[in-house]
Amino acid sequence: MKRRTFLTILGSAGVVSALGTAKVAQAGPHTFPYYADSYGVLHDTTRCIGCRKCEEACNKVNHLPKPKKPFSDLTVCDTTRRTSEYQWTVVNKYKVNGKDVFRKLQCFHCNDPACASACFAKCFSKHPNGAVHYDGSQCVGCRYCMIACPFYVPGFQYDEAFDPLVQKCTFCEPLLQEGKLPGCVQACPKDALTFGRRSDLLRVARARMADNPGKYVNYIYGETDAGGTAWMVLSPAVGQAAAAIPADDAPLAGDELKQLGLNTHLGNRPMGELTYGALGAVPMIVAFWPVLFGGAYAISKRREAMYKAEKDEKIKEAHEDVAAAVDAAVRKIEETQGPGAADTARRAMTEALKARETECKCHGEDK
Amino acid sequence: MQKDKHMRNGTSLLLLAAIALAGAACLTALGAGTANAAALEPTDSGAPSAIVMFPVGDKPNPKGAAMKPAVFNHLNHEKKIENCETCHHTGDPVACSTCHTVEGKAEGNFITLERAMHATNIAKRAKGNTPVSCVSCHEQQTKERRECAGCHAIVTPKRDSAWCATCHNVTPSMTPEQMQKGINGTLLPGDNEALAAETVLAQKPVTPVSPMLAPLKVVIDSLADKYEGSNFTHRRHLTSLIEGIKDDKLAQAFHNQPELLCATCHHRSPLSLTPPKCGSCHAKEIDKVNPGRPNLMAAYHLQCMGCHKGMNVARPRDTDCTTCHKAAPKSAD
Repeated sequence: MKRRTFLTILGSAGVVSALGTAKVAQAGPHTFPYYADSYGVLHDTTRCIGCRKCEEACNKVNHLPKPKKPFSDLTVCDTTRRTSEYQWTVVNKYKVNGKDVFRKLQCFHCNDPACASACFAKCFSKHPNGAVHYDGSQCVGCRYCMIACPFYVPGFQYDEAFDPLVQKCTFCEPLLQEGKLPGCVQACPKDALTFGRRSDLLRVARARMADNPGKYVNYIYGETDAGGTAWMVLSPAVGQAAAAIPADDAPLAGDELKQLGLNTHLGNRPMGELTYGALGAVPMIVAFWPVLFGGAYAISKRREAMYKAEKDEKIKEAHEDVAAAVDAAVRKIEETQGPGAADTARRAMTEALKARETECKCHGEDK
Repeated sequence: MQKDKHMRNGTSLLLLAAIALAGAACLTALGAGTANAAALEPTDSGAPSAIVMFPVGDKPNPKGAAMKPAVFNHLNHEKKIENCETCHHTGDPVACSTCHTVEGKAEGNFITLERAMHATNIAKRAKGNTPVSCVSCHEQQTKERRECAGCHAIVTPKRDSAWCATCHNVTPSMTPEQMQKGINGTLLPGDNEALAAETVLAQKPVTPVSPMLAPLKVVIDSLADKYEGSNFTHRRHLTSLIEGIKDDKLAQAFHNQPELLCATCHHRSPLSLTPPKCGSCHAKEIDKVNPGRPNLMAAYHLQCMGCHKGMNVARPRDTDCTTCHKAAPKSAD
């Protein structure tokens, strides 16, 4: 086989193997398992009054630093805030068709979390109780999770000089393990946060819609959004006639969810599915390609070695032929001209051969 | 503050006077009722004062199997609604069953009589008059009028047989023959109006339960911890509910049991003057078996704030905790 053909075959084999592994990853079990009995929280924004008791409770049970403004100051709800490393939940005020509606923000605890799909240190995991758990022991601080999160939830301890970590709502896992409710749920005076199995909460939500016709938008945010989340939101249906809608909000009129700051364009598949195919192929490539190319290298090396051995044998044979010829010639000289001449001839021939060999070696092989 | 107190005293005095007047009015009304029996006040439009709405059908119905007919008080509705086209949505003041029959027919876009009377969530018509049904208009009233919207923001009346019977209440003296004729559309208008008048005249508005039977104040303190208990002015709240709907015919027709007004707060239990406490069903911690049932604290707040929000009661704001229950004296914190 020619060298070029061999390389062509080798190259195409490599490409095919890479494509093959990518396909396996796409069909493979990279999505998170669905935990049928996992817990969740239903946030009913028609009930929320913006009292910030949940923020206060979150701060207390998680031993977070006290904020500059006290929790009794309700004016902070007016500015749209995001969750941060030391505020794992915030309550914002939104104008929905001209009426004030409050919504609590925190980690949605996705069924198939985007943060986990983006983390190459495997810091995030979905627990069977429903919580998306963060283990900072391997965190390298790349903050890919913050970019991946469709809800902009994780915060990063920028003020920590040593070992800064990503921080977000933990679903109060330590409390759950004690059989207690999450801090915010305990503190809510209006049951705007209902804790329960996710499957039960979906039924509760539908029952509320059925019992109160016209009160809710017929949509449970988080039921399927971003592949489904453990924390879900009910939005109020606010009649537009009752409210004067400012002109700049006109494009949003009628879309209560959007006015409530809920992104309804996340699709119903997990964010991670967009990247599982490509990212899933990486370990396969890392594991398989060295073997492939190492093998190809070994094969070519072995062929070289075999070729060399064959060559050496031929040379040796040739040497032996020459030695035999010299011997025969010397013996003939001895018979005809006596041993003295034979000795001289042998010496001369051996020297000539040696000289030639050294000459050959000087020209040498390719090396 | 001083002024406020005066106002309150004034209100209660006024209330007492109003109750006395109402009582007197009741008595005189009764007397008046007996005086000119068997005749209803005529309408301005010349339409019958009240009519029986029979379930008119096109298919033969030899046994007369149908819903008990409803009696429509045209007079009361005409007084409330200025525009006839609200109900007569085609602009032609004909009977509903002209187009909407039990089976539905082409003239009525195959909208059956049942739908025409009960449909809610009626899609707004692109052009022309958007029709309303009995139920949709009544629901709109309960949602839009302040005095109704408090309770009706948090409760939706159960659609049970008692609810149906509020309107489907034709007098029991109607004979099967009259029913047959009504279904076939052959009952004479005079007979129809006589039946309707008999039904309407037999109706007596139900007097709601007297606030004096209810406790003056209820101290809600089973959860007192961060805050002191709340002194709930029970009688004042009941009185204001009764006052709000005192002269309203719609409210009178549907609140047809004396304790029905109690059933917004004292919900989901049989009507009674001694209803169970909130804590009988609402546990302090969420009930694992009924995750949809609010815990006790939430139950209180949902009821109070839900009604206040519905009635547009501006004060106190939902987040003014100490207006209803004082902050408990704090230990060192």
